[in-house]
Amino acid sequence: MTRFWRWLLAILIGAWLPIVFVAWWWNASAESTNPFFPPLSVIWEQFKVNWVFELVPVHVMPSIRNLLIGFLIAVVIAIPAGTLIGASRNGTRYVEPIVDFIRSIPPVALVPIFILLLGLDAQMRITSIAFSASFPILLATIEGVRSTNLVVLDTATSFRLSPSAILWRVRLPGAMPTVFSGLQVGFQIAFVVTIASEVLGSGFGLGAFTLIATDSFLIVDAWTGVVLLGILGYLLNIVFDLVERLSLRWYYGQKKLS
Amino acid sequence: MTIPAISIRDVTMDYPTPDGVNHVLDHVSYDVAEGHFVSIVGPSGVGKTTLLRLLTGLASPTGGEIHVRGERLSSSPEGLAVVLQDYTRSLMPWLTVAKNISLPLRRAKMSRSAVRERVEESLAEVGLTGTDRSYPWQLSGGMQQRVSIARAIAVRPSILVMDEPFASVDAQTRFDLEDLVLKVRDDFGITTVMVTHDIDEAVYLSDEIVVLHGKPAAVRDVVKVEIPFPRSQMATRNDHRFAELRTRVYGMVRGLE
Repeated sequence: MTRFWRWLLAILIGAWLPIVFVAWWWNASAESTNPFFPPLSVIWEQFKVNWVFELVPVHVMPSIRNLLIGFLIAVVIAIPAGTLIGASRNGTRYVEPIVDFIRSIPPVALVPIFILLLGLDAQMRITSIAFSASFPILLATIEGVRSTNLVVLDTATSFRLSPSAILWRVRLPGAMPTVFSGLQVGFQIAFVVTIASEVLGSGFGLGAFTLIATDSFLIVDAWTGVVLLGILGYLLNIVFDLVERLSLRWYYGQKKLS
Repeated sequence: MTIPAISIRDVTMDYPTPDGVNHVLDHVSYDVAEGHFVSIVGPSGVGKTTLLRLLTGLASPTGGEIHVRGERLSSSPEGLAVVLQDYTRSLMPWLTVAKNISLPLRRAKMSRSAVRERVEESLAEVGLTGTDRSYPWQLSGGMQQRVSIARAIAVRPSILVMDEPFASVDAQTRFDLEDLVLKVRDDFGITTVMVTHDIDEAVYLSDEIVVLHGKPAAVRDVVKVEIPFPRSQMATRNDHRFAELRTRVYGMVRGLE
């Protein structure tokens, strides 16, 4: 597993700036009496009370559950749809304008519309997440499948593979590096929408916790929520990175050699 | 009369372009005899690859007909395998060598153990036993082209069509691959059609050489290579007939003769 250790080392090297930042914050805020900027040491004490691990089942688990379910729905819908659209001769021309239009709307701005349509429950939150995350995935899949290399297509055609085998076994796997760039963007959007969808009408979830704390002038609690959001986003990104590296081993292996 | 493996009858190919129609092939006619090794040579850009795409059913001619073993070609025919020049793209980089080779066997509905056996046999034939779990990009260029040859023969084709198969490998590897192709032809009795720009290679490998020339291109001449098989890189290339033939074909390709 030397590759794993090298990967871990790369993360640690990347961590120097956050470490410097935290150290600066700790010192600069130490004497703070401003109620809106409490000392980091105070935030940290409260952080331990809240998130190790008293409130995790109440406020972290629902967020992560919504995020994963919503993202998974987006993947399951957008990748097959994008594959079909990207492979059809005119599919892109018919679909791209409308997709581009919807994609241009900030995802968070759509949350109120989903609330109107679906109410205030978890279903609404998951739907907003899935909807917003699916567009980058859809577009990346369309692009990846559309730009299948012609030599690969000729080869597959000359083997007399069925059209569906060419689509799912040749074009889609070849498009996966592009698809993953869409998954990455989609995942980040899903995270943002997860939190945004909780600020209205929810008692649970990290977004709800942070907002309620702010509204109740529990400034230290609000700060612990913000810090946890940062940590969580970072960790999720690392997990995503790892999944990508494992799924696209062939792609990175090839790139390293060329 | 025996039916030729491939029969090209009056084949014409035009491409529409923004500047008018591009006439590539003009009434090309030629029969590839069963079991023969035929090379198609000609100056670059003459339409060799176009003709090859027509033979493999990857494109349809504007005029004329192509018959493979008596049947008129409409799409990629059964029993015909293709090796393309660009092995880095024609092998799927996300599949291991074994999975690349077994991909065309999906149609054959073979059992899993039969597929594994066929993959082993094909790899052994091209001298790559033991590479089945590697990815193509982990192998050298010559080895990758061996994998695409193994993949082509895995379907046990009666006809093998190759487009400049050795154009992007070094000279030594090229000789090895040429001899490999001759061995494969012998072992399986495959009719082979190869497009090449290398006249020496065409003379060394072929029973017959088809020279395309002109714009639009037509068959300029058909040269029989009457050097007996088995051939060898040392002896054959020193044969006086080899020198005469390459000079003659070279002259035709250059339009000097």
